[in-house]
Amino acid sequence: MRSNRTGWLLLSPTLIILFVVGFLPFIYVLWVGFHDWNVFSAREGMFWAGINNYRRLVFDNDFLYSLGLTLRFTIVVVASELVVGYLLAQLLTRDFPGKILFRIVHTIPLMIAPLVVGAIWRLLTVPGLGPLPYYFDHWFNIDYNIGRYADQAFITVVLMDLWHWTPFVTLTMLAGLSALPNEPIEAAMVDGANRWQLFRYIKLPMLRPVILTTMFIRIMDALRVVDEVYMLTNGGGPGTSNRFIGIHIFRVVFPKTDYGYGSAMSLLVLYITIVICWMLFTALMHQRSD
Amino acid sequence: MKKVFLFRLFLVVALTLVLGLSLVSAQDDAFWSEAAAPYAGVTIHGVTESTPPSNYVREVLAPQFTELTGINVELETTSWDQMYDKAIKDMEAGTGIYDFVYIEQDIIYGYLAQNFLLDLSQFLRDKPELAAPTFNFDDFTTFIDSFKDPESGDVFGVPMEAFLKIYLYRTDLFNDPDIQAAFEAEYGYPLAPATTHEQYQQIAEFFTKYGDENGMELWGTTVQAASAHPSSFYEFFESVAPTFGVYNWGINMENWKATVENGGEMNSDTAKEALAWWLGLLDYAPPEATSSTWDEVAASFAAGRAAQGLVYGENAAWIATDPERSNVVGNVGVALPPLSEGVLDDAEAGTGYIGYYDGGAFGVPYSSKNQEATALWLQYIGQSSVQADWAVKAARIVQNATFDDPAVVEQDAKVGGYYTLMKDQGYLFAGAPPFPFHPQVREVVAPFIYSAIAGEITAAEALDQAAAAADAELVSLGFGS
Repeated sequence: MRSNRTGWLLLSPTLIILFVVGFLPFIYVLWVGFHDWNVFSAREGMFWAGINNYRRLVFDNDFLYSLGLTLRFTIVVVASELVVGYLLAQLLTRDFPGKILFRIVHTIPLMIAPLVVGAIWRLLTVPGLGPLPYYFDHWFNIDYNIGRYADQAFITVVLMDLWHWTPFVTLTMLAGLSALPNEPIEAAMVDGANRWQLFRYIKLPMLRPVILTTMFIRIMDALRVVDEVYMLTNGGGPGTSNRFIGIHIFRVVFPKTDYGYGSAMSLLVLYITIVICWMLFTALMHQRSD
Repeated sequence: MKKVFLFRLFLVVALTLVLGLSLVSAQDDAFWSEAAAPYAGVTIHGVTESTPPSNYVREVLAPQFTELTGINVELETTSWDQMYDKAIKDMEAGTGIYDFVYIEQDIIYGYLAQNFLLDLSQFLRDKPELAAPTFNFDDFTTFIDSFKDPESGDVFGVPMEAFLKIYLYRTDLFNDPDIQAAFEAEYGYPLAPATTHEQYQQIAEFFTKYGDENGMELWGTTVQAASAHPSSFYEFFESVAPTFGVYNWGINMENWKATVENGGEMNSDTAKEALAWWLGLLDYAPPEATSSTWDEVAASFAAGRAAQGLVYGENAAWIATDPERSNVVGNVGVALPPLSEGVLDDAEAGTGYIGYYDGGAFGVPYSSKNQEATALWLQYIGQSSVQADWAVKAARIVQNATFDDPAVVEQDAKVGGYYTLMKDQGYLFAGAPPFPFHPQVREVVAPFIYSAIAGEITAAEALDQAAAAADAELVSLGFGS
């Protein structure tokens, strides 16, 4: 009993902080989401709207477009980062000249704040100033302009995310590969397994918990991407080609000051994120119990 | 003997004047130190957009005021979006983080509708001991009317910047005899600042070709067309559409409707023609145009990458005079923007306008916890004595007397007569319409402009969809039915 009390006592500061900065704001956003509340509306104040905000969301083409775009982005970047990250991790399990330098340089983007990543890529890509448009034009005669061409902008955003987050995947994969027991691999090699079979039937199953955990973290990050894309594309452009859900919610809540609708939007996106993560978590737990 | 007498008389008069002026100055200084005594040591916080006028306030005026009064001023200069986010949240929640906020002329009506701001006229009437003898609301240009309550006439913000969005052009290019001859040979009329949209487009086309043929990084015009930033919305609706005769964003001010079928003009044929013309200029603009907000447009022009452009006047001074930041020092001309037929008549008759008269003021939120100290600060920056140097450094003028100050007159010649144009023809320009729903409609309409810039939809489609969306948004906000 005494140790229980001491445990709760020691936990209480953390619990209080979590309650104040986590739970209370969540309840407030939940409450606001059931209201119409726009600071510049002709009707001042908050008005009970029931589930109207959520009903509107289902038919809101802008919201659905941004959500779909975000899911597409998430699938593309997470899949790409897992493949590239795994390959780099495999590379780093071997010895080669300059390996330590490569590892350091490769990890640097992880240490940079997302906003700064956006600024760096903007400086690289801004027409008239950045080196990328210049060399694309001079070497390949390609008019590379992410302020004007939606496809180029989306691809650039994906590449930026790959540059920023692949090192994280590489490090987790490397940790996973380093922790793999040698016996099953050696046994398979004795049995004549080739490289693909080693990967497919030995390493991949054993790496699954690591892969799922990494995916779990990266999906959550990709679904809430805002700052680096906002900085690179000047707010999600050109047009609405990079207006991911986080940017869309930002514009609804802040410049448009539509707090009620924006809160409902935030909660629905939170729900979708939780569902996706729960599915992955269930898969992870299932794998562990196996 | 007579000469000696006259000399002595002159000396006496001169000494009296010097002493008198010193006395007045000492009395003025005494007012600030006495009035501020109860607030010495207090720190007041403000938030504003990072612009040349605001930077001058932070770097020059704030330290002067602190030295004089002991009141510390912390002014946060940030991006335009961040400034509004922070200010509105603070005022809405009533947290009192900010003691003064930047109020752009276009947002004041929204703030007044929400009772966010302190009535400065009433405040100074109630506390006469805080009213500075060197501050007078009557010293300001008529721009101060933008910050008055239309009913009571009371002032809610002290103007700190006002400027026009003007037509800048490169005098070195426009006055080059070879270029003039080549232009006239091609288009059949002399090269001069454009007065019509067709001329403007042809000049842009000519200089783009000229730059290309001569291996120069030169294009025909700037375009403020950041493809996901509100600055492109503003360039079109506040600087381009009015030159075609589409005013107030095409929204009918009587019934708050934007579509033609409901009495608005946002998707009228004229508006569509204006948007198509503006989008067409992208062919003659530097590649950075679709990433250019208000600052980048000025930077492009200053870098010598455009022969002409519509540029916010607050940048005119440094573009024309600062060799460390500008490649076109001494080569900047100023003119009225190109206009459709009848628009100038509308503007002169007061039924329309030819472009954007921008500017802002500092106001005090009701939630400020240091209203007295802040009222002193705002009066300090509203004195006539601080205006001239501020105008020279940041190309903004908010008081009538500033136009005639010798320093400003001297600067005027260097910036192609910008101040004279502002003084004599400023009345032809107008600020944003008095909408209480300004940011809401902008956020609804702007994405269609962005999509048109990106080429996803045509100008006509963009404005048809934008007008319909604006009508729906206005109804949901409770304006119109």
